[in-house]
Amino acid sequence: MKGTRWFLAAVLALGLGLAQAQVVLRALMEDVPETHIIEKLLPDFEKKTGIKVEFEVVQYGAMHDKLVSQLLAPESAYDFLEVDFLWAGEFPAAGWLEPLMPYVKKSGFDLSPYLPSMLDLVGYYNGKLYMIPMYNYAMGLIYRTDLLADPTLKAKYRERFGKELAVPTTLEDYVQTSVFMKQNAGVAGAAMQGQRGDPNFMEFSNYVFGAGGDFADKNWHVTLDGPAGEKALRLYVKNIREAAQKGALNANLDDTYREMCQGRAWSMITYWWMLPQLDDAQKCPKVAGKVKLAVMPGGHGVNGGWGWAIPRNSAHKEEAWKFIQWVESKEIVKKRALMGHAPTRRDALTDPDVLAKYPYYAQVLKILEGAKKVPIFAYTAEMEDVVGREVSLAATGQKDVKTAIRDAAKGLYGLFKKAGLVK
Amino acid sequence: MRARVGASFAAPGVLVLLLVVAFPLLYALALSFSSYTFLKPTLAPWVGLAHYLEAFRDPYFLNSLRLTALYAFLTVGLSLLIGLAIAVLLFQPAPGKEFFYAVISVPMLIAPVGVALIWKMILHPELGIVTYLLGRLGFSAPDFFGDPRYALFTLALVDTWQQVSFVALVLLAGLRSLPKEPLEAALVDGASFPQRFLHVTLPLLRPVIGVVLILQTIAELRTYDLVYVLTRGGPGAATDLLAYFIYRKAFLGLDLGGASALAYLLLLLTLALVVFYYRRVFAEI
Repeated sequence: MKGTRWFLAAVLALGLGLAQAQVVLRALMEDVPETHIIEKLLPDFEKKTGIKVEFEVVQYGAMHDKLVSQLLAPESAYDFLEVDFLWAGEFPAAGWLEPLMPYVKKSGFDLSPYLPSMLDLVGYYNGKLYMIPMYNYAMGLIYRTDLLADPTLKAKYRERFGKELAVPTTLEDYVQTSVFMKQNAGVAGAAMQGQRGDPNFMEFSNYVFGAGGDFADKNWHVTLDGPAGEKALRLYVKNIREAAQKGALNANLDDTYREMCQGRAWSMITYWWMLPQLDDAQKCPKVAGKVKLAVMPGGHGVNGGWGWAIPRNSAHKEEAWKFIQWVESKEIVKKRALMGHAPTRRDALTDPDVLAKYPYYAQVLKILEGAKKVPIFAYTAEMEDVVGREVSLAATGQKDVKTAIRDAAKGLYGLFKKAGLVK
Repeated sequence: MRARVGASFAAPGVLVLLLVVAFPLLYALALSFSSYTFLKPTLAPWVGLAHYLEAFRDPYFLNSLRLTALYAFLTVGLSLLIGLAIAVLLFQPAPGKEFFYAVISVPMLIAPVGVALIWKMILHPELGIVTYLLGRLGFSAPDFFGDPRYALFTLALVDTWQQVSFVALVLLAGLRSLPKEPLEAALVDGASFPQRFLHVTLPLLRPVIGVVLILQTIAELRTYDLVYVLTRGGPGAATDLLAYFIYRKAFLGLDLGGASALAYLLLLLTLALVVFYYRRVFAEI
């Protein structure tokens, strides 16, 4: 009897001990294929480390508010984070993220395979490393090859402009071709996402970079209202008013996808990952096999991406770093890439197996090499709203281009000032 | 002694009310005078009325205020008119009324986000059924949400579609509870249906209409979900209603102090309207 009691006590103690020993890492993840790819690979991590990982999967729109409330709490419910580049200024500025360089040095983690544009976007903030690039969604031009090759359209274009109909390489050429397609091809020249806020801000930013402009210089002096910014807005307004689909002023990414998928538009300026969606014969039979990806006309598009980070108030920082090391290891990144992940490492983008499966990654690499980032600071999300509002006012004709770009620049300056970046 | 026993019974309820109503209100008031942001979550330094004054200097806030007033006027007015018409129709003796009750209740049962998504597709400028039907009739459908001339009105109509159920059911309940004698007396005196409705039914229904007005105005001034799903305040600033403006101030601008001040202005506006309704509708009863 006494022996049985001892045995039960030992089993209980062992059980409690095991329960205490098993660390469970929790993270808030966006409900996108990338998350489910990683979920499939998690047993490998658990087997190697004994650490369990649980994802709380939600829609993008719910993420920011949920994260902020946890980051403000004494202890975060999330042990590691995936951070969109739009928050990559806000989170470190608020002191919510753990600097990662000490972890990198201690573990010998190699940062050299990462593309510099990605480390710049979702790695460093004010010279300190807070994130490890996780995923890229840079923007470029997706266009219909069948319309570019159409002999009637080619002849008409040559007759009207005295040059060949081809993939545009400058912003002026792009808008000109887009308007031409609307007038002659029976489709919208561009499927545009003109809804105020993130959709039109992201789209317009490509025009700014494509026109050779930028939002600010290295010292945070606003340059948006310079000649390039004004030209960008003028061309954006022309394209949305003369060449875009009906309803473009309130359209978002989903709307433009539907437009393009149904063969109702010649082009779209969008995230590169849209290409495999459109090129899928089951999803988009009307355009599959007829779409291609190109660098944003003008050579520079918007860079976008996510990074891994560890919250300052995480209870399991060391274990969280182990997870990041594992998920960003060469072996796992390649596995993820072969399953459809969008890599941030050059070795994955140039890997022969990956390229054999996804030949357009060669183009993605070019897009990433030329990609530029929008200002990343504490009020990036508000910047999207302020600039987006002015772009939308210009697009609806409620403000002229000069006034709108000046007001956008003024709003941007106000935000830089609020963030303490300028005096 | 009895008073003490009574107070002890009321105490838990009062305590809960203080915790869930008074505390958040007072805390928000304190925030509105502070420089509290998500980046610097401390009340100090106090900024006094700065957030309130700043709001009245912001042309986009004033635009939101104007749009919200117009929106509330449109939605409350339309839902009251249509709801009253439906309630009067349902009050008449007719077979199979249960079916109509069920149909009328459906919009009320759908979450506003669901309503927004349904109407987004119905009014889609290229793929929507309304666009298709108008096209078949030889008309070109307007760009309902993409044209700043129509966006606010379309939003108000979508909202009205949902709110009419509630208004109709409350007014129907009011009609059923009216005393029969005045109506019968009017009938005996030879009053026509419009005369009976305007001079007997409507005055008797006034308290119920007053309650509906107050509830609907409060709900409409706080409209957020439809704007979030359908237009995000655009195109331009054509649908930038106050509640959505406040949300952006808090969660995009990270400025909880400023957002609390705006929320208090919305609260004051709502209170002023409620007091106005009380005076106009209930004072003479």
